Amino acid sequence: MTSKLTYWGSIGLAVAFGAAAGPAYAAGTTAGTSITNTATVNYQVGGVAQGAQTASDTFTVDRKINLTVAEVGTVTTNVVPGQTNAVTTFQLTNNSNEVLDFALVASQITGGTASHGGTDTFDATNVRIYRDSTSGTVGSWDAADTLVTYVDELAADASATLFVVADIPTGLANSAVAGVTLRATAREGGTASTQGAAITETTGANTSGKDTVFADTAGVTGDTARDGSHSDNDDYTVQTATLAVTKTSRVISDPFNNTTNPKLIPGAVVEYCIAVANSGSAAATSVAITDPVPGQLTFNAGTILLNGTVTGSTCNADGTAGGSYAAPNVSGTIATIAAGATRTLVFRATVN
Amino acid sequence: MRKLLILLLATLAPAPALAANQVALDNSVFVERVTTDASGKQRVLLEEPKVVVPGDRLVFVLNYRNAGGEPADKFVITNPMPSAVRFAGAGDASPIVSVDGGKAWGALDTLSVIQPDGTRRPAQPADVTHIRWAFQKPIPAGGSGKVMFRGVVK
Repeated sequence: MTSKLTYWGSIGLAVAFGAAAGPAYAAGTTAGTSITNTATVNYQVGGVAQGAQTASDTFTVDRKINLTVAEVGTVTTNVVPGQTNAVTTFQLTNNSNEVLDFALVASQITGGTASHGGTDTFDATNVRIYRDSTSGTVGSWDAADTLVTYVDELAADASATLFVVADIPTGLANSAVAGVTLRATAREGGTASTQGAAITETTGANTSGKDTVFADTAGVTGDTARDGSHSDNDDYTVQTATLAVTKTSRVISDPFNNTTNPKLIPGAVVEYCIAVANSGSAAATSVAITDPVPGQLTFNAGTILLNGTVTGSTCNADGTAGGSYAAPNVSGTIATIAAGATRTLVFRATVN
Repeated sequence: MRKLLILLLATLAPAPALAANQVALDNSVFVERVTTDASGKQRVLLEEPKVVVPGDRLVFVLNYRNAGGEPADKFVITNPMPSAVRFAGAGDASPIVSVDGGKAWGALDTLSVIQPDGTRRPAQPADVTHIRWAFQKPIPAGGSGKVMFRGVVK
């Protein structure tokens, strides 16, 4: 039931609104806003309406400094050794009730467990920070993005996508991990294209004006709560092929026993199997195999089989014809050995 | 806390018939801080609003007093919500409220809000624009009291 009370309507309502306040953001009322509460009394004496009485109270909304730095995607960035411009993505959000600048520092984790598992074992090089531009591909690092050391004039409740871009050294083992930390520290806003001054929390006696309160949570190790900064970790994980080569041989036939229990006598045919196993996390491509044929053997032309398989540790001596022979070397290139797979090069030779 | 205005009726109203009737109204606001001591007990402290940030809980207290010599009848206190404060209840006093800028009044659970698509939904505390206490009995000469409500800084 909605009751419209005509009696109250007859009273001259002195409606006094509070001072104009900023728009209500999730980050909250803009710092420095005055909030005025005004109450009005209407009454009668002896049946005669009396003039309204009002009373007000005003206070100032202080500045709450709060920010979050969060890694985007919650997955590691897979890299290969020697890769340049490997990208990790973070999002910085200004949860403060004021426009602020944010100083940025990207640093390396030394040792310890990286955020997506594994132990930090190497440092990336040439670590830079880029801010995602609204031109180019939004959300991906590209040429339109800007190399930055701070985020300029980030509005209350606004977010900035930041890319930490680094180069990966060569010669790293599969699954090696490099952790990186992005830390943002609130700085005074208000002047575009200039990083503002450092912000300190108002300590001691409070003032009736605009005070500053740090309200951020703790970030990564070493970044405490309520220090005006926040941080998060991300990491690079090396995904590379790890190849191991094994070579086996068996006697196929001899001139007297033929293929029944052949013996390794002159004239016997020997089959060699070179198996390349990839225990890494990435496929190996263009795997070139070269094997010199011992001087006591004569290569049997046309017997090279490439890209064959093994079952357990047994060479299946399958595959497709290919490869080449240039005395004394048998050579062949396998196009791709997938992660976890084993492929073979098989050839035959005759004992001199 | 700054008391900006305590306007006495005598300074406002020239009519002689009113001169003897003065109603004083005092408006205070406090920040409600909840602290937990070592034994886990929660203590609520009311502090002056010096450090106020979005999300803080506020308690507004209105003290009234009939300083005149005659009973004040049809005594109504109206308090528009500051636009940066969200209403969060008024305790036991159960004032009537408005959610449309002071046009319609009633208990909060009797009011509704028109949504952009034209349908109505029940009013929520955050919709409150005005609060009003209407006293059934006259405030006797010299009588005083207080009403309060809570809000949250947006």
